[in-house]
Amino acid sequence: MKLLFCRQSAGDEFLIRITTNHLSLQEVMRELEDDSAGALSIFMGNVRNRGRFGNVSEIYYEAYSEMAEEKMREIENEAQTKWAIKKLVAIHRIGNLKVGETSIIIGVSSEHRHEAFEACKYIINNVKTRVPIWKKEITDESQKWTDGILLE
Amino acid sequence: MVDKLKLRSDIPDNDKIKVRLFANLRELVGEREITITVPGSVTVSYLNNEILNKYPQLKSFSNKFVTSVNCKVTTGDTVITSSDEIALLPPVSGG
Repeated sequence: MKLLFCRQSAGDEFLIRITTNHLSLQEVMRELEDDSAGALSIFMGNVRNRGRFGNVSEIYYEAYSEMAEEKMREIENEAQTKWAIKKLVAIHRIGNLKVGETSIIIGVSSEHRHEAFEACKYIINNVKTRVPIWKKEITDESQKWTDGILLE
Repeated sequence: MVDKLKLRSDIPDNDKIKVRLFANLRELVGEREITITVPGSVTVSYLNNEILNKYPQLKSFSNKFVTSVNCKVTTGDTVITSSDEIALLPPVSGG
């Protein structure tokens, strides 16, 4: 199953960045393969069992998908301008995720490790503050939207 | 009353602005999208005031959202029309 690609009617393939599907690390790794890349840096964000409002059973993620895709592309372009990146994947899952499931994977390959580390960190930090995605923590007692950062 | 109804029917469709809502704002209103009728082109501030009047449950959140126009966060003096895609965005918490 090909999760990372979305096929357009014209036959062009492009990377999707927001999905309701499970995220597959293997697929991301395959996407990052590049014989000239000596370094590969991956960041995965998982749902943890302790939240701001108690023991979490799951998290509901919601996105303004059109704008989120656009903002993620913008952040990826900035990273590509700042560092010599070979391949890059950034994908965020939305919907209901259980504890332990992966909500986001950022993957960067580059010739040497410095670029991959830095770009990966830059992308996740900026996705968290600039992309219109919201999360609601669901515990046994409550369902509450997490406080976040007002977009600029 | 008759005159008022006539006047209303004279308002063309293109003065109806659709606004998308997300997360807690969507839940407070109970709709993913609302429609606000405005007198032609208006500013984002004008639109936001109209929204808060129509949906007073959002009033205590008036400083807890920004307005995007065509996927760009805007300031209150931005002029919008019914062809623009408008959304109210509460503080983000992705990742």
